[in-house]
Amino acid sequence: MSESAQWKEKLGSRIPSDLGREIDIFETQIELRKQGKIDERVFAETRLRRGIYGQRYDNGQRHDGQKIQKLRLPSAGLTKGPETIWDAPGMMRIKIPFGGLNPEQMEALADLSEEYADGISHVTTRQDIQYHFVHIEDTASLMRRLAAVDITTREACGNVVRNVTACPLAGVCRDEVFDVTPYAKACSKFLLGHPDTQDFGRKFKVAFSGCAQHPCGLTSMHDLGAIAKMESHNGVERRGFEFYVGGGLGAVPYKAQLFNSFLPEEEFLPMAQAIARVFARLGEKRNRARARIKFLIANLGIEKFREMVLEEREKLTADPQWTDYLHDVRLQVENPLKGGTALNGGERPDGFNAWYATNVYRQRQRGYAAATITLPLGDITADQLRALADIARCFVKETIRTTVEQNILLRWVSETDLPELYTALKPIGLAEPNAGTIVDVTACPGTDTCKLGIASSRGLAKELRQRLSEKNFQLDQAVKDLRIKVSGCFNSCGQHHIADIGFYGISRNINGYTVPHFQVMLGGKFKDNAGAYGLAIGAVPSKRIPEVVTRVTDRYVAERQKGESFQDFISRIGKKETKAMLDDLTKVPAHDIAPAFYSDWGDPREFTLNDMGVGECAGEVVSQAQFTLAASERELFEAQIWFDSGDVKKAVTTAYGAMVRAAQALVKMQNYDVSNDDEAVVAEFRQRFCDTQLFYDKYAGSSFADHLFKARDALKQANGVDKGVALRRLQEAQLFIDAAHSCYNKLSATESSERASDAAQPEARGT
Amino acid sequence: MNLQKINVKFFVADPGAVQLEPFVGIFNSWIQAADGEYYDLADYSHVPDGPGILLIAHEANISMDNSGNELGLLYNRKQPLEGSNREKLRRAFAAALQYCRRIEAESVLEGRLHFRGGEALVLINDRLLAPNTEETLGAIRADVEDLVRTLYAGSEFSLQREQDPRKRFGLRIKTPVSFDVATLLKNMESSVN
Repeated sequence: MSESAQWKEKLGSRIPSDLGREIDIFETQIELRKQGKIDERVFAETRLRRGIYGQRYDNGQRHDGQKIQKLRLPSAGLTKGPETIWDAPGMMRIKIPFGGLNPEQMEALADLSEEYADGISHVTTRQDIQYHFVHIEDTASLMRRLAAVDITTREACGNVVRNVTACPLAGVCRDEVFDVTPYAKACSKFLLGHPDTQDFGRKFKVAFSGCAQHPCGLTSMHDLGAIAKMESHNGVERRGFEFYVGGGLGAVPYKAQLFNSFLPEEEFLPMAQAIARVFARLGEKRNRARARIKFLIANLGIEKFREMVLEEREKLTADPQWTDYLHDVRLQVENPLKGGTALNGGERPDGFNAWYATNVYRQRQRGYAAATITLPLGDITADQLRALADIARCFVKETIRTTVEQNILLRWVSETDLPELYTALKPIGLAEPNAGTIVDVTACPGTDTCKLGIASSRGLAKELRQRLSEKNFQLDQAVKDLRIKVSGCFNSCGQHHIADIGFYGISRNINGYTVPHFQVMLGGKFKDNAGAYGLAIGAVPSKRIPEVVTRVTDRYVAERQKGESFQDFISRIGKKETKAMLDDLTKVPAHDIAPAFYSDWGDPREFTLNDMGVGECAGEVVSQAQFTLAASERELFEAQIWFDSGDVKKAVTTAYGAMVRAAQALVKMQNYDVSNDDEAVVAEFRQRFCDTQLFYDKYAGSSFADHLFKARDALKQANGVDKGVALRRLQEAQLFIDAAHSCYNKLSATESSERASDAAQPEARGT
Repeated sequence: MNLQKINVKFFVADPGAVQLEPFVGIFNSWIQAADGEYYDLADYSHVPDGPGILLIAHEANISMDNSGNELGLLYNRKQPLEGSNREKLRRAFAAALQYCRRIEAESVLEGRLHFRGGEALVLINDRLLAPNTEETLGAIRADVEDLVRTLYAGSEFSLQREQDPRKRFGLRIKTPVSFDVATLLKNMESSVN
């Protein structure tokens, strides 16, 4: 029995049935890919939608600083995506909706990081957890063990709705309008696997915030952002949201636009669904660089986009899920473990005051505080995570959150317990102060593990952390309050646009050498939900970035006017002057004089771009028809397993289901909203594909289609099925599915050539 | 019990004498010399008491690991080993010791790093296969003791099981006698011959 099957048996009913079924399906898809029965592109998007991401060097080669090495990967040509070798270790992203965790989940995450990854759980800038160096063969076991603690990796990557994030202080914030947690939770659940979110050309990110002025939710940089709002209607106070669409960072950052100044709470989910449908239908699919919804909205204009979404909203059939959760939204309150008592004048351990100043947030609820656990570069070891789970059990209930600043927050700590909490955190190395200060640098994985990384964002972040924490006590308070964020490339996973001081990795060619650089971005605004994006000042060699930080902050301290923010300061002195201030730092000494400039932070190799691969952020654009065809193959595989186990009846039923699924795939090409009812699918298939002879083989005529109708009729009869008949049915199902693939390919080729012809038309006219 | 995913750790004699950072360079030079065996490096030197610097490969990861604030060489076997449990343990220990010897010989460290051979940690990195229980210990005790007798050439030793049931099955092996890496390797080799 496989390891995954043993976990399935051992964990039994602890795995929710829907998650369990998902994992069974994925395991079958792995098997089919190994047998070459799923196309590598389809499999790539399939695994991405289960959170399994590629990692640097998974194309099987790595530059060792002197030459490119071909890595010894025993995959025998098997791939898990284009240029992605099967046995190459990869990344696993684990969705943590609104960052909510409990101690049991933390223990599971700790265990899994040891057994399947490198012992580190990495908190991302979108409240997810990531593991690195995971083998694809381990992913099913890993998913089962996560499912047993109610965590899924589903749709953590790929062209789908990603983790729904929310302000980690939601529910305890002193300034929030109301607690957005139940809405984030409902939204995450509703959109997960929803049929209307499966056909996007690109990913889609949602964020919630309890107020407009603080940064925690970062709604302005999201595809869909919701800020809590109350409105009085006929003298009755109603909950709703200031509702934004079309924000996003990446190479071309856009601020989200106001869609509705007050969207009532009951309209949130249907409106999200309507937006998803418009995005799926009209969003760019071929040019992935222009496929985020921000480009669609920019093309249409917000008014036209709004009009189309409202039209779509009108057409939607009411779904009880839209409002069911609202019945107990106000009942979903977190409970503290202990009574709320103010921090008294008792003894405070060494270092406590510094930690208290930066890491403790006084909650709205009297006598309670939220304590931030500072994680260097978002990393926490398995031992630390287990110990933190124990500590959490002593001080709070299930009120733990990950944050977009790559830290962990313990909420509902009785203030009087804070010294004891600090004392408990200290021996496990988690009592570091400086959360949310200039020392607490945020960074994406960059060249450490990301295929798209250009420069070492983590290497730079580590260096800056070290230098800034050494001189932290000398820093002016205005400087301490600044944020630094680093991305390894322009894609902005490190969120450099919204930092006071941001950097993203680039390279420059200097005298025949490629030299790692960072583009300097100044004046971004983390506050006001990512209220403004920074200004690009210029490219500076990686090794001189610490000097940039010193120079810029020194000048800010020396020249700022009373109460002047960093953004205002940068704006006042202007880009020209700021650039001039850094000009001498842009120079690169000759290679023989300063060879260190020619390698990156934390990496002794001479710098090269040869290791860059094809990123998987954008996923593979795989149509719903292709996914459904892949599902039909998987169902037929399951039918074969039933047959082998002697259950011929189940084998025949499942084989018929596989054929219907293949027929549905084709119907989806013409009618995306085709029903899931077998009879309806068969009727539409007959009308659209058989009557029109689209599903017709030059030699076999309509015989493949007849296999479907014959199987359907046979199932209706109550006759028993013998083994011979069952085997024949399985073979016919295979023929039908193969014919469905051929039909799909034929129709896709026709569509492509029509598109190409359309595209060529204006040019032809021009000449 | 079919033992797999065996991890072996030998501890540095004087952890204060070395930093983790040089191992980035050392492991990079190993990558350059190995022609595709090692895939990548992971640097977690910023994490207190963490996995340190790792050298990632298909069969086994090697790391200068600082878990539990005990700096040492960790050999983390990932791919299945053939043979009896005794043979698999022997191969994992031999591999770990070979890496220890290689590190001790690194010129960059100028002879400052030595491993204390009189103590080792064996972990089974698989909670399904080897839950951290007395039963697991009972199932592998004889094989471990046999190996340790060879390793320490019959000197007395103790075995101590990790007591936190949530942690992986782990056995700390200790002898009061002092051993260096070369002697342990010689002891292992002589048992094969």
